[in-house]
Amino acid sequence: MLENQKKDVGLYGFTGCNGDQLTIIHSEDKLLDFWQSVHIKSFSLAKSDNDDSDLDIALVEGSISNQEQAEHMKEIRKRSKKLIAIGNCACYGGVQAMELGSKGWDQRFRKVYGDAFFELRTPIESKPIDVFVDVDFYIPGCPINADQFFYCFAHLIQDHVPTIPDHPVCAECRWRENDCLLLKGILCLGPLTASGCNAVCPSHNLPCLGCWGPVEEANVSSEFNLLKEKGLTQEEIKRRFRMHNGSGIIKPLKKILGVL
Amino acid sequence: MRAVKLRKQDLPAFLKCVQSFGELWGPVREKDRQVLKKTDDVNQIDLTTIRTSLPFKKLLFPPRFSMFHFSGNKYTTSLEHLPNRIIFGLHPCDIHALLIMDDFFTRSFDDPYYTERRKKTAIIGFSCIPDEKCFCHATKTDTVEEGFDLFLTDLDDFFLIWVGSSLGDDMTRECPKIIDEGILPEDLKKYVEWRKYRNSQFKMDIDLTSMPEIFDLSYDSVIWEEEGEKCLSCGACTIVCPTCPCYHVYDKIEMGKIEGERMRQWDSCLFKEYSMVAEGHNFRESRAERLKLRFTHKLQAFVGEYGKPACVGCGRCIETCPVDIDIATIVRRLRGEEVKV
Repeated sequence: MLENQKKDVGLYGFTGCNGDQLTIIHSEDKLLDFWQSVHIKSFSLAKSDNDDSDLDIALVEGSISNQEQAEHMKEIRKRSKKLIAIGNCACYGGVQAMELGSKGWDQRFRKVYGDAFFELRTPIESKPIDVFVDVDFYIPGCPINADQFFYCFAHLIQDHVPTIPDHPVCAECRWRENDCLLLKGILCLGPLTASGCNAVCPSHNLPCLGCWGPVEEANVSSEFNLLKEKGLTQEEIKRRFRMHNGSGIIKPLKKILGVL
Repeated sequence: MRAVKLRKQDLPAFLKCVQSFGELWGPVREKDRQVLKKTDDVNQIDLTTIRTSLPFKKLLFPPRFSMFHFSGNKYTTSLEHLPNRIIFGLHPCDIHALLIMDDFFTRSFDDPYYTERRKKTAIIGFSCIPDEKCFCHATKTDTVEEGFDLFLTDLDDFFLIWVGSSLGDDMTRECPKIIDEGILPEDLKKYVEWRKYRNSQFKMDIDLTSMPEIFDLSYDSVIWEEEGEKCLSCGACTIVCPTCPCYHVYDKIEMGKIEGERMRQWDSCLFKEYSMVAEGHNFRESRAERLKLRFTHKLQAFVGEYGKPACVGCGRCIETCPVDIDIATIVRRLRGEEVKV
């Protein structure tokens, strides 16, 4: 690609484990192409001379959990033509947004931090980035899957819109011919959860925890009823549903339970 | 059709012998299921298998594969180095499904990604005794006369082998020491007895007669809405179905280059995107409409086009669906029979 056709790209991390940026850094076989196909203007986890210039594409990981981050997020949005949310925290809020939608954040916060005074940051309830800014594309995952990320990235830097098939984890799980954990009465969120992970947990006999966030066609109420029939309690099911699904599960769950 | 005999203890030797024709694939037990796997150790093959978790279709068009690599205006296909394969252990239902797939992928035009694999695939069928989920007697796919190179029927102390093709004939002649050409009258009697016994072993009572008309009359049935509310849209039934051929095509490009792979991967009519077209319009917006399409296609539309239903009674959807939406429940509900909802 010609030097002047290369996109200006920045990577930013808010509240999260940096796992998505690390997934990129750990993809040794892709790194040369990654750095050569665009101008990386900012990637503080990987390089030092970062600047705050205008961007073609901003990739943002992590949720927003203080007012300063919210301001920074808006500032990034202003100077970026496209904003891509990467990872579960940016897309849905992550585990720190587990209780999103239920009331009582103030009490929960005080229970943990007491009356501590926060000098540099003003904490707020943790939320996904699209609560604060418009997001052009979502690449979910906890962490993101390197193949899926680089597939999307290759399209985005050529101004194509990538397509991520809207299939649940069950699709990839059947492809891998795993035993179905749901049939065994295990609380598996495969049918509700977007695929892209190659059904990594069920392939190791562990139930899907939903870390890719909900698939668009998730039939939450049917799965809820099925799990109850299998003998799981409403509380167990609710906790698992909320663990990674943050903002993605609020509406359907409210519909089933009335309150969260 | 030529028929020969093979003593039971000689099966491993026979399978070893036919491996000179290609990779041997057969049902192998893995935890709670049987999986069609490539195996060099013929003793791994589980002859008690009723149904493998995925059918043979995973070998003829894999769940996800690269059709060709493109670079600028040039492309190279992925069809050059396909291995020769023998699939051992297909039961009559799966062989019927294979014939349906063959027809589907060649009728209007040859799909090279299927036919090139198919040409290099030999089929050794194997007899079975139905379990409680089998209903191939209702779909009339419980016996086969074509679609295999060899077909083994398990008659206790020996296998009766039907030879279905010249390749199958070559296979039997490859190992003359263990193949017995002399079929005796009592062998035939044994075979007839076995057929009677097998026919008596079907446990599922399901009636598939007049299904096209019943579907016509049930187009607005409340059943679709009710089952649609239960359906998890997980696509599992279509993935395990031996006659579901739908796929999705996309390009996987290299970063910063006009180069990449054109990929094909399995799709499902139960996924919402499947029926979405330009500008986001969707022909089948609701789960109920998508479910109706799946079953109507299997048992009505397919009959109109191919003269037979696209269900071979293998029972995989019954085994797989977490919320019990399968051919059996839908057919029974449409016929007004009592079904636990």
